[in-house]
Order: sequence, then structure tokens, then C-alpha cells
Amino acid sequence: MVKKISALLLTGALTLSLAACGGGNNGSNASTSEGTNSNTTKSSGEKKVVKILHWKQENINKAMKEINDAFEAANPDYKVEYSTTGPDDEYKQAQRARITANDVDIMADLSGMRLSPQDWTPGAKVPDWQQWIDSGLIADLSGQGFVKNWNANDIEKAGTYNGKVYAIPTGKVAMSGLFYNKQIFEDNGLKVPTTWTEFIQLNEDLKAKGITPIGVAGKDVWPLKLPVFALQAKILGGGDQQKWIEGVWKGETAYNDVEAVEVLDKMKTLQDNYMIDGFMGIDYASAPAIFATGKVAMLADGSWDAPTIATANPDLKFGYFPVPATEDAAKNASFVGKYDVTWYVAEKGPNKEGALKWMEFFSQPENYTKFVKAAGFIPTQDNISTDSEFIDKELTPYLGDFELAYEIMMINRTNVGEHLAAEGVHTEYLAPGGEFKTAQELADVQQKEWEAAAPK
Amino acid sequence: MYPFGKGIYRYVPFLLLLIPLLLYVVFYFGPSVLTVIYSFTDVKNVPGSSMSFVGLDNYRDVFFSGNSGERWRSIINTLIFMFIVTIVQNGVALFVAVLINQRLKGDYFYRAVFFLPVVLGVAVVALIWGMMFDPMSGPVNMLYEWLFGYKDMFFASFSHAFGYIIFVQIWMYMGYSMLIFLSGLQSVPKDLYEAGYIDGTNKWQSFRHITFPLIAPSFTVNMLLSIIGAMSTFDIILATTDGKFNTRTMAYDVYKETFRGSLEMGLPSALSVVQFLIILVFVIVALKQTRKREVEY
Repeated sequence: MVKKISALLLTGALTLSLAACGGGNNGSNASTSEGTNSNTTKSSGEKKVVKILHWKQENINKAMKEINDAFEAANPDYKVEYSTTGPDDEYKQAQRARITANDVDIMADLSGMRLSPQDWTPGAKVPDWQQWIDSGLIADLSGQGFVKNWNANDIEKAGTYNGKVYAIPTGKVAMSGLFYNKQIFEDNGLKVPTTWTEFIQLNEDLKAKGITPIGVAGKDVWPLKLPVFALQAKILGGGDQQKWIEGVWKGETAYNDVEAVEVLDKMKTLQDNYMIDGFMGIDYASAPAIFATGKVAMLADGSWDAPTIATANPDLKFGYFPVPATEDAAKNASFVGKYDVTWYVAEKGPNKEGALKWMEFFSQPENYTKFVKAAGFIPTQDNISTDSEFIDKELTPYLGDFELAYEIMMINRTNVGEHLAAEGVHTEYLAPGGEFKTAQELADVQQKEWEAAAPK
Repeated sequence: MYPFGKGIYRYVPFLLLLIPLLLYVVFYFGPSVLTVIYSFTDVKNVPGSSMSFVGLDNYRDVFFSGNSGERWRSIINTLIFMFIVTIVQNGVALFVAVLINQRLKGDYFYRAVFFLPVVLGVAVVALIWGMMFDPMSGPVNMLYEWLFGYKDMFFASFSHAFGYIIFVQIWMYMGYSMLIFLSGLQSVPKDLYEAGYIDGTNKWQSFRHITFPLIAPSFTVNMLLSIIGAMSTFDIILATTDGKFNTRTMAYDVYKETFRGSLEMGLPSALSVVQFLIILVFVIVALKQTRKREVEY
């Protein structure tokens, strides 16, 4: 009997500790994923170390290393410890582990400040950055001289909280465009479409010539959101996305109202007819190659991927245009996007003073120019010349009414269902891959999930 | 009878035991108990933030909120995963172990081959099968097209992805179960078979009445390991589909809510506790059932 009980207890303890391994021990797993990539060791004598945390993105990492070397050369007392982790979720884990351990001085965030709860969003979750600021982990940059180097509007939109500057957004990217192969367009006498009808006609023309119109990396799911951002920004609320988002919280608009269904329906049209066969099987890393080798005429991707495409095929002539969401050509002619790499300085890090010095160095126009050129971002400092034909000729004409994307503006309800999770409308659930035969069916489920997640 | 001497030295063994016990309490048992406590609070992964008890709110969020349907599906997925993996993995492993135990030529080679996936580890296995199952250019799809004129989306298919993950999991850990069975088989005394042979048993009878009861302890170990292992699997899911395409299990949800969700730790703790209770129930049932079969000759 004793043997039996002890065996039970032992298995109980074993399973409990296994379950605990999966959960509760606050981020201890996370710390194993990073730290191995730091390009310097701590054995730098009397030098003061500045710890910078960033994610892996080859072109940007290279520029960062150059800037760090220049910083060390100009400030011999300092040593930069630049560590990188895998992107997205892996990076988020590292961020949490390092900032809560006060083990970082400068930290990049994946975008500018966003998703802060408003008075019309009862019960919404407070985003990480805001909790960090509220707990005094992030340094206030308001008084710093280098803040003036940056475009005041961008700082206001993406780096200011409660009237104080806490973050520096280092550039903008367009998300709602399609890369197009200029050679294919030219050979077939096609031009960049400006309305939805022209766009469909263009797709039909390409199909008639036996050319697959659009490639997209469906396997990663999120690239499907990119063309949808264009549709959402131009269609929802009659082109006033903010109004629609507030409306959906207040019950004035809905996920199954005419505009929201139109968004899903237009994306369904593209998915069903014009996207490459088996697009749900293409992963994000291989998508640029499919476009660069001419297998598809257009690629739904963000402007940040232009350097990758250029590397995949240096001879390729390509452009980028916004998905024309409506019949109003003037309204269609602007990009939807987001702020990219945004720096935060840790208040309680090991070397705040050095961190501010680094930020000051980074903010100098000549250093920032190096960074923004390598990153392929749209600059957030004024009078920066990027010498990039792609930015000057393909992006700048559409930057007049630059708007933030749905995923940046949408404040989600806590515990919202999977068809609306992660600030998206998830067109992967549409047939043939998913279970919903029509846009309306998916929209109805989304509205139901939205209502079910209402705060009680 | 006093290996550590008399007097005060009698306590040395207990002192030495204290070290692993302390490590166990600090790094295993303590966090486990804290997880249970956390599940009733709104604790956040932010230093200096306040914490208060919120009763059963986290459990209500698990079972009665906007996305509870998905949570139930995760539980059902976990059970499907556990049953199929436990039954198929152990069935195949026992079959292969018996075959290898026939002392056929090159048994060491087969043993190594079947055990190899265990050594490779999850990341490598996921990479291998990611390439094998590549919908655009993978060899398996070429085979499918040649045989059935049909192409699959594999890890990007809402209806099939989970099945493929189960297959990969079994492929990966079958060798481990096989090895445990094999060691059990090799410890069965030969003279029992000889005695059976004299009494006129056929092959099936000698397996059913001699081998099977004697390897029952290996069977118990394998059952428990696969049940606990399968129910707390999240790594292979993370590495293949990342929970997309209806492939989430409870363990994956715990991981996701802890490290990628909000900074609040209450909900993932509650999920952990629910997961633990479900595992516990199945382990107790399995233990009772398999213990019954164990015999000693």
C-alpha cells in the first residue's frame, strides 16, 4: 500500500513539475534563447558597457555594427554589447526577460507606441511598453537634445506617452503594396492600376497570357494581412478607419457590416482567382525568390523586403504600388504602413548615461543616414537623402496621406476568438483552405466572437 | 551497521540529502506550487507591479470567455494526440522490439536507425519533415501526385496538419519506447521459453503468456512516459505549424499565453493547473490498469 501511494505521489509530482515547466516560472525559458549572439565579451577592462537588444535582420544588423564601431571609436571609454535574437515572438520573449532583469540599456521595439487603451475601450489589455513605462522601467527622453533631430510629428505619433517622449521611431515602412515586375508589365503593355476595376482587369489580362498574377507567403499567414490593410484603410468607415474601429467598440459598426464584408470579399476574390496555386504552402523566406525569378508578376509584401528582392535577382526591375482598394483613384493613391524599429532607453539598466550617449550619436544625421539606407525605411528625420531609387521613385509618390495599418490602430478585446486574434481578420479561414465558403459566413462568426469577448 | 559513524555523524546522510531536496524544492516543487497560487491572482511579469487575488476569474476566462471554444478544442486535441500517440507509438515500438530481439543479422544497426530520431532532437526533426512535407517542392507531395494524382498542404492544411504532427511525434519517439521494450525483452530468462517449448506452446502463446507478463514493467514505464510526454508536448507543434491550422494543444496554449500573450501570468497559470489535473487523472487510471498486469516469477 505504501509503495502504491508513494508511486502515485511520485508520478503526481513528476507531472506537476512538467506542467510547471510549460508555464509559471516567469520567463526563465526565454533567457536561454538569447545572449549567445553578443558580438563582444565583457572583458573590456575599465570600459563602460552599453547593452543593446535587437532582433536578427541581416541588412540592419550590419549597419548597426558599423554604427557601434564608429561610436566606440568616437567614445573610447565605451563598449557596445549588441545582441540579437530571432525576430517577432522570440524577440518579444527576450525583451521581457531583459527589461525585467534590468539587463539592457537600449531596446528596440517592433513598432512605435500603439494599442494603448482609450476611454472607449473598456477592459482592453495594457500593452507591454505602457506597463513598462508605468512601472518606471523606461527612461524619459523629453529633455534630451537629440529628440529635436527627429520629425516632431513622428515622435508625437509613435514615441510620446502622457505628454512625454519615451521612444524614438527610426523609420516607417509601407505594408499595403504589391511589388510588380516591370519587365512583365512592359512586355504585356500593362500599367499600374489605380482603381479596383483596373486592378481586376490587370489580373485577368495576366491570366489570359498564362502569367500567374500574385504571389503571397500564405504559410506564415500574416503576409495575407498586408493587402487586407489597404482594403481596410480605404473601405472601413468610408476611408476613416479610426471611426470604424471606435464604432465597433461602441456597437455602431460591426465585423459583418457591409464595409467589413466588402473587405473580406475583395480579398477572397484575389485569393480564389489571382493568387498562385498553393499559396498557403509558401513560406515567407522563399516568397521573394518566387517573385524575383518571374514566376509571378506581383508579390504582396512590405516595402522592407525590397533589399531582399534586389539581392535575390540584381537584374530585376521592380516597382511597388498600393493595392487599389476602391473605385476612387485619388483615395487609393497612398500607402498604409507602420513605424518599424523603435528605440527605448531603460531607466534602470546598468548604464543609462552611456545609453543616452549612444542615442545622441545614433541621432546625428550622418549616422542615422547610414542606418536608414541599410534598413530601407522611409526616414523619420527631415532632410535625409537615402539615395534609394526605390524609396524616391516608388514610395515617395504615395506617402502624402500615409496612414497606419489596421493592426497598429485596432485595439483588440481581451480573449477575442481566433478569427479576430492578433489584430487581424484572418482571410486564411476562407475556402478552399479554410472552412468558410463565403465572406459573409466568416464575417458573421467574427462579429459573434467580438460580441462574446465583450467585457462582462 | 553505522556506515557514517555514531553520535552526531549519524546525521550526515540526512544533511547530504538536504542538498538535492533543497534544489528540488527551489527549482521544481516551489514553482509548481506558486503556479497554483498564481492561478488565483492577477500577477504580472513586471517588477514592482501589484498583485491581488481575483478568485476564480482566470478559470472563468479559460472556460467561459470569448475564445473558450478554442480552449476546449485544445483540450480535445490534447486527448486525441495523447491516445493516438500512446497506442500507436507503443504498439509499433513493441512490434519492432520483438523483431529486433529475434537476434536477426544486423540488429545493432536497426536499433541505431530506429533510435536515431530521438538523438536528432525536435528542431532537426521539424526541419527534416518541413522539407519532406513542403507543399511546393517536397518529395512526399511528388509521391502523392504520382500515386494518387493529389497534392496536400501538409502543415498548412486546416484538416490534415494535426495528423501529420502526430505522425512526426510518433516517428521521433518510437525508438525510445522500443529501447525500453527491448531491455525488458532481453531480461526475460531463456529457460522459461524452453519450459514452455517442452509444454508445447506455439509462438503466440509464448508471447502472450511468458513475454507479455514479464515485460509488463516496461509496458508501465512506456505508457506513463508517452501519456505524460504526449500531453505536455508543445515543442514539435511550435516548430512545425506554430499552433496555426487547428493544431493547438493545452501545452502549446500554456507556452503561448506565458511567453507571447499579455504580461499577465494568471491565465497561463490557470491553464497549467487545468492541464496538470487532466494529466493526473489519466496517469492515475493508466497506472492502476498497468500495475494490475505486473507479475513476478
